[in-house]
Amino acid sequence: MTPRVAVLTFPGSNSEVETVRACQAAGMTTDLVHWTADLDHVRSYAAYVLPGGFAYEDRVRAGAIAAHDRLMQAVREGADVGKLVLGICNGAQILLEAGLAPGFGGTYEARPTASFTHNAQRAFLCRAVHVQLAVEPRRCALTAALPRSIVLPMWASHGEGRLAAHPDVLAQLEAKNHVVFRYSDERGNPIEAPNGSALAAAAITNEAGNVLAIMPHPERSNVLFQQVWSPQRRAAWGNREQILSPAGGHAFFTAFAAALKQG
Amino acid sequence: MNLDAFPVLAASDEEISALAKHHGLALSVEDLREIAGKLGRDPGIVEVHAFDAQWSEHCSYKSSRPLLRQLPTEGLTVMLGPAEDAGILRLGEWDGSTWGIVIAHESHNHPSQLVPFEGAATGIGGIVRDVLCMGATVIGVADPLRFGRIDRADPKSEHAKYVAKNVVRGIGAYGNAIGVPNIAGDVYFHEGFDDNCLVNVVALGLLRDSDIIHSVAPPKSVGWDIVLVGKATDRSGFGGAAFSSVVLDADQSEAQRSAVQVPDPFLKNVIMRASYRVFEMLRKERITAGFKDLGAGGIMGCTAELVSGGGFGAEIDLDRVLLAQDGLPPAVIAVGETQERLAWVLPRSITPRVLAIYNEEFSLPLVAQGAGAAVIGRVTEAREYVLRHQGREVMRTPLQVLCGELRRQRNLGWISHTAEDNDLPHWVEATLLPEILAHRDVCSRRPIIERYDSVVRGTTAIPAGYADAGVICPIPGAPLGVALSVDGNPRYGKIDAKRAAELAVCEAHRNVVAVGARPIGLTDCLNFGNPERGDHYAQLVAAVDGLAETARGLGTPFVSGNVSLYNESTTGEAVPASSIVACVGSIEDVSRTVTSRFTTAGSAIYLVGERQPNLAGSVFAEVRAFQAFALPTVSYPQVKRELEMVLSAITSGTVLAAHDISDGGLLVTLAEMTFAFAAPGTIGARIELADLAKTIGTAGFFFGEAGGFVLEVDPKRESDFVSLAGEFALPLTRLGTTIAQPIMQIDETIFSIAELFDAWDQPLQEVYP
Repeated sequence: MTPRVAVLTFPGSNSEVETVRACQAAGMTTDLVHWTADLDHVRSYAAYVLPGGFAYEDRVRAGAIAAHDRLMQAVREGADVGKLVLGICNGAQILLEAGLAPGFGGTYEARPTASFTHNAQRAFLCRAVHVQLAVEPRRCALTAALPRSIVLPMWASHGEGRLAAHPDVLAQLEAKNHVVFRYSDERGNPIEAPNGSALAAAAITNEAGNVLAIMPHPERSNVLFQQVWSPQRRAAWGNREQILSPAGGHAFFTAFAAALKQG
Repeated sequence: MNLDAFPVLAASDEEISALAKHHGLALSVEDLREIAGKLGRDPGIVEVHAFDAQWSEHCSYKSSRPLLRQLPTEGLTVMLGPAEDAGILRLGEWDGSTWGIVIAHESHNHPSQLVPFEGAATGIGGIVRDVLCMGATVIGVADPLRFGRIDRADPKSEHAKYVAKNVVRGIGAYGNAIGVPNIAGDVYFHEGFDDNCLVNVVALGLLRDSDIIHSVAPPKSVGWDIVLVGKATDRSGFGGAAFSSVVLDADQSEAQRSAVQVPDPFLKNVIMRASYRVFEMLRKERITAGFKDLGAGGIMGCTAELVSGGGFGAEIDLDRVLLAQDGLPPAVIAVGETQERLAWVLPRSITPRVLAIYNEEFSLPLVAQGAGAAVIGRVTEAREYVLRHQGREVMRTPLQVLCGELRRQRNLGWISHTAEDNDLPHWVEATLLPEILAHRDVCSRRPIIERYDSVVRGTTAIPAGYADAGVICPIPGAPLGVALSVDGNPRYGKIDAKRAAELAVCEAHRNVVAVGARPIGLTDCLNFGNPERGDHYAQLVAAVDGLAETARGLGTPFVSGNVSLYNESTTGEAVPASSIVACVGSIEDVSRTVTSRFTTAGSAIYLVGERQPNLAGSVFAEVRAFQAFALPTVSYPQVKRELEMVLSAITSGTVLAAHDISDGGLLVTLAEMTFAFAAPGTIGARIELADLAKTIGTAGFFFGEAGGFVLEVDPKRESDFVSLAGEFALPLTRLGTTIAQPIMQIDETIFSIAELFDAWDQPLQEVYP
């Protein structure tokens, strides 16, 4: 049977439709599953994606309430047995709040040890960014099929995307290669994170590497027409097939699909 | 009928006026006498509140409706003209369907001045419901904003800054949460808005022509259910419609604050998604229903218009309305403007399934306390509007009186004629450019744009700030694109309401064409002063003339719009005449679009259109502190030919980048083409002073704001381009070439692009750090 992916929504999610589309474009059989769904039905999926948005209005802290939602039981159980779990933006915040990432010690933590919190400028920031794969691709199952050090275009679009944690935790994240993507320029040169994120971190994995929490949006940069600044888009002027073709962040989803196929 | 009467028939004018004031009504004695006369009895308390909303300027357009009839509203691109909550334009064919773009345009000026965050947020909330209720997916919003001066060290500036900051925060908080990209907008700062900001909002939706849901009870719907969906009804927003139709009063600002609604984007996010599911179900079952947003006049305003439009009546049981608190008076339940609510007219057989989608699948009652969908009444054959509360009938009103057309004759006052311009500066050095670029109406809007989510939904092809119009590609897999621009320059409005309206229509067209889109429709929001004052009303009349003439001249219909009156300063001066125009463009093939950034070194740079020596309303005039009265002039046949030629040149691939000339003039346009939005660019320009500059003077040539285009032309296609301009009989000026060095050279004057970029990029960061 084809492994199925569930894009899970909570009240307040807002990027679910394009996330489903991006997964499908990479060949994954993907369903949209709402917060009122039956838990056993949710358990039947092979992988989970938590999309962007403002789940439960981001009350208390971004992701804090959703981390305790009923649906997260299924996600935790799945993560424990090695299912792939991807959180994008608000989904990433939820995974950190739920302790699924960084998940030191091989399991999720009862309390979050790190969080994606208020940007350094204390304001929402929507900006085209680049991120670079900062670990060995195989460190994280979802990136195993990506070329080493690949640079991908994405959109940062968040008010709370700055990684913050105790210095000991940050040291551990570095030492154990949890920072899967870092903000960079388009050539992969290191830059200071536009939101002030510690370690210039854009994405964090867990110890086992089956959970990935990524702040910028690959699904908003996975078709060429979405990349207004890119030379490739200009080169494709007048070619409608090409401009509607997968590009950029699509590689991220094809790597996800490859990992799903491997099981 | 057993109701608490509001005595009119036997009362004196003084008594009526005192009682109206006691109840916080905006209705005049004349209005109340007319109501009693038409009813043939004293109205009830609930009824007077209903009329207070329905007969407000906001709902009835009583001062503006005859004027608005002048606007052209027909054309091949019109799918639905201005009759319902939003207009619909034909985008194109895809996948065997004809697709339409729904557009609505509103203002939320008074609420935003008093409580900027909530006022601006509920502005987005309201416009999104207007689009949603047509059966559309909401695909984009845009905000034209007009704030007071923020650059002076005085308390007024401090307050203007507070308003400017929090309006932007409110727009971001709401739009970002519901997941609708903010794709366009503009911002001006003018002392005329110190006491009365303008917060307009435009929203776009997408649907197939077969899926339009009308805001009226469908034919043969007698006996159908009226279902209220959304937030639990509370005390907020009581008197909102009436409040927007009076002048803001410093003494009453506390009382008026209670008229402001409370936004809940979180709940709205879920209501939108649940409604999309209902649309899907109705399509599948081939059921026709009516759907309408609750705005002005609350439950009463919405449901009365729903049934009145279909030629029916309604009976509503206020006890079935989901309430947030006990003890609400019936008038508050009926007319209060609690946000995040919509009403359906549904065949009874389908009602349980619709309720289940809202209440169970999307669990509205769990998302917000007391929220949900519930049947509150039914459609009746008698054309009467009946409200019951606790077993009593509190309203029974003929709908032709409540919703019938209302007119108020306004006296046309006198507008002073503009004086002649003498002794204007004629020659000026290009070295003034950095100062013009740093002007608050010219400088980069990035600090605002980056606070809005411009790319959620994954459909944005050209985000705000990268070109003259925002572009989205709303149908996955389809090459069809939609461009949107909003325009309206208050510095022009201050001088001449009519010309300002004409120039706004022209600029909106140019902006849409500059990305390679064909203008297909317009909306307007007319933000003016007090229509009861002849001089203010005359500006409105002149502006509508200007809009109508220009739209006819350019052949583009208006399909929706809004009128916001009573926008005044505390000293009784009207805000600068502000006809804010939105233009929608359609793109057949999104791969054939361009941005406003230079792409390649070695390209030819061309100016399309004539420069004029007229300097009135220019940023240059303000920076140099001189008075001028002659605004740029408009010639429709020429503007139309320019638009056609530039569109043809872009879509045929001869043009690599395009930017219109507006605030700041030609040199600003050129400088902006070297910028990469968030950073100085790498491609510069070398400009040689054209003969034109010698004829009209460098002041008008460099900094005059007459409209036009600057185009980067592919050097390999230059002769094609020149002959195309010849076919359209258009004057062309070759300004120079793009170069690989990051400099801009104007004859002997050389700027580094980094220096120009810093001047342009910094100023608004002080307000939006």
